[in-house]
Amino acid sequence: MSNNGNSTEVEFTVIGGGVVGLSIAYGLLREGKTVRILDEGDLDFRASRGNFALVWLQSKGFGLSDYSVWTQRSISLWPTLSNALLQETGIDVGLSQKGGFLLYLDEDGLEQHVNRLTILNQDLANHRIPFTQMDNGELQKMLPGLGPDVVGGTYCPLDGHVNALRLFNALHKACVNRGVDYVPNASVTKLARANGEYVIETLKGTFGTPKVVLAAGLGNAKLAPMIGLKAPLSPQRGQIIVTEKLDKFLDYPIGTIRQTDEGSVLIGASKEDAGFDVSTSSNVMSDLAAEAVKMFPVLARARIVRAWGSLRVMCPDGFPLYDEDSSTHDAFLVTCHSGVTLSAAHALELTKEIAGGKLSDQSRKFGPQRFENV
Amino acid sequence: MSTVREKKRYDLIVVGAGPAGMAAAIACSKNGARVLVLDEGKSPGGQIYRSVSTSPFAGDRSLLGDDYFKGEKLVTEFSRSNLEYISTCSVWMVEREADGSCFGIGVQYSAHSSGETAKSEVFQAKSVLIATGALERPFPIAGWTLPGVITAGAAQTILKSAALVPDGKVVLAGTGPLLYLLAAQFARSGVKIEALLDTTSFNGMRTALPFAFEFMRSRYFFKGLTILKEVYSKTRVVRGVDTLEAIGPTKITGVTYRKGSKAHTIKADSLVLHQGVVPQVNLTMAAGCDHHWNQLRLAFEPQTGDFAESSIPGIFIAGDNTGIVGADAAEASGAIAAVGILTYLGLPSNGIAVESQRSIWSAAMLGRGFIDRFYKPAPQFRMPGDDVIACRCEGVTAGTIREIARNGAQGPNQAKTFCRSGMGPCQGRLCGLTVSELMANELNQPVADTGHYNIRNPVKPITLGSLAALQKIKPEEEVKAQRLF
Repeated sequence: MSNNGNSTEVEFTVIGGGVVGLSIAYGLLREGKTVRILDEGDLDFRASRGNFALVWLQSKGFGLSDYSVWTQRSISLWPTLSNALLQETGIDVGLSQKGGFLLYLDEDGLEQHVNRLTILNQDLANHRIPFTQMDNGELQKMLPGLGPDVVGGTYCPLDGHVNALRLFNALHKACVNRGVDYVPNASVTKLARANGEYVIETLKGTFGTPKVVLAAGLGNAKLAPMIGLKAPLSPQRGQIIVTEKLDKFLDYPIGTIRQTDEGSVLIGASKEDAGFDVSTSSNVMSDLAAEAVKMFPVLARARIVRAWGSLRVMCPDGFPLYDEDSSTHDAFLVTCHSGVTLSAAHALELTKEIAGGKLSDQSRKFGPQRFENV
Repeated sequence: MSTVREKKRYDLIVVGAGPAGMAAAIACSKNGARVLVLDEGKSPGGQIYRSVSTSPFAGDRSLLGDDYFKGEKLVTEFSRSNLEYISTCSVWMVEREADGSCFGIGVQYSAHSSGETAKSEVFQAKSVLIATGALERPFPIAGWTLPGVITAGAAQTILKSAALVPDGKVVLAGTGPLLYLLAAQFARSGVKIEALLDTTSFNGMRTALPFAFEFMRSRYFFKGLTILKEVYSKTRVVRGVDTLEAIGPTKITGVTYRKGSKAHTIKADSLVLHQGVVPQVNLTMAAGCDHHWNQLRLAFEPQTGDFAESSIPGIFIAGDNTGIVGADAAEASGAIAAVGILTYLGLPSNGIAVESQRSIWSAAMLGRGFIDRFYKPAPQFRMPGDDVIACRCEGVTAGTIREIARNGAQGPNQAKTFCRSGMGPCQGRLCGLTVSELMANELNQPVADTGHYNIRNPVKPITLGSLAALQKIKPEEEVKAQRLF
């Protein structure tokens, strides 16, 4: 086996050190496996650094109801993950699952959202998404400070959010504590299977490993075909604005606005096809700002401390993508746009399947075969 | 179609009305360009000639010196030029418009009273000159966040614009010509300077020696000598200071320093810190211009061509924000930039003697090689001990930055994720260099490879309300941003 010097031998190599990769690595370590993470550098497209940190259900699964079921599973596992991370690292990831809202400034948008939820719930039988539609007056009772332009919204008691930076830190620290071999600046240039193991060429040298998990976000599109897996992914830009720290005024996350436990307000959820351009644009930012100010007029005076563009990792249908080499049982691919929401399911369930060498029937529903007949 | 925004389209928008910005604006407007100058100051002049046209010291010029009042001529010519000038505004964005035809420049006007929300606007221009000058290098020492600890630049701003000086016992500390200039100006204004603690390192002096001859031929030599003589005659100067600490329970009460093996404490009501200035690069970085690390000057500087072209066609950069050059060279670089800009615009560039401007520039640069080395701030004042705060906004210590580098963070952008450094209202302006150097040092790799924070628009803390209000000036047929929900 080719190796660069004194690197330790591990069973699993996870390619990607974002929230998805760290969750998988953490889960595998919990299963007693030895793990190496190959991560990139400081300037690479890091969806984990740009996320909105919702642990979110109510807008997901229209078109693939299994995604809603899987999301609900992760949401129910989140307290377990949060407690485990607190115990292992001392970091409180700030999980709050008191419910969340989607708010609408136009009747059409609200109607479409409610129709979709209703249709989705007909498919979901035992896993219906609990939600309440509210008008402005009803919303005011839970969201004081709501602006008069909000025509209505929906409340889902299963929705919530975390502190994304602390989650990232906690996962990283938990992996380090459990003995992960973390290798940064190791962009993968070549990946091949030879003599029953994987040879991974990186900017930090060559690594060999019996088993590999691709969790490299958009990077998976290039890596997957090298070992016969599929990842038809493309970037979707979202822009996020962050304000200075404000006194607590928002008790619940809104799909497009949330106040962190530290007081900053995040405003986001735009989507654009901008290729690999992560810059911000004043048109989109001013749209986001205008909507936020209409929803909560108090925000007009809040100063913006930063804004950024980040790339979501998107399949053609927007759902997660899991793949495996079903003959060798030693290569897997995990990618999705909701890496935070699915972090608990990835760490506590999907990794059991990966450790055992085989995805479950449930997980295979998120396989790439679903794109073949389209 | 004529929208409000299109009516506000200029040939050139100049950001900053210091020597470089003024010189370029004058030359471009003379050659027929429609020019708008946006400035944070209350009147043209920049930091060097701040308030020169309205100076409270106009009656007694000796206090601030001839170099300061030299700015009057440029400011007068600027004021008589056929251009538009907006004072007291912040430029928070330079972006290329979606159709690629021009740039959008976001401006926020200061709120006139506390009750009024600040207003923003976006102007359009075919070309942009970014001449935002310099800002002071961070000077992270123990206690630097205590009230009463200020920078020399801030002290000088207040002196120039409002004729105010610190009360009580004042200690100056650090290195560089500006510190001595301020000491002279303070002494002339009757400020009681307890001591000037000079942190200039003997190592820097040694590496500067080969450049001493060139320096002695430069205009800095005689000027510097005069000021040094003046300061030494009036002020107690302690040379060879190795460590500095501001002490006090809730505000500064004293300064402890170490010279060699001996520690000393002196009482102080104010501590004025300075260890040189560095290019202000937030706007050029947010605009997407290429930058490089200058290992001699220990700063990130934008890449520029012979006529001030940045790496982005249509964006030009001149003055101290291209690398510290000083007022005369900045003015010359502005005139040279005007040629580049006018050529880009397809306009003639009459009346600009490029060669003589280049020789002014060269003459002004003579001696910089010595100054850059002599006053190179010592490592312990750039990369402080573990307990010292590096990022003031988020209260992140140097020790934390070192720890996260050891744990795998490869650069300042991952540092944000790991410890929130650089995520406060200053957007990393105050800690960017400190964090880049700390991480590079800990990772044992060049600063050039470690990089700088990603800087994004808006680079100034504008309000959500003013950003939202930009809506109104956009044409209605423009497509609304799509949403995830």
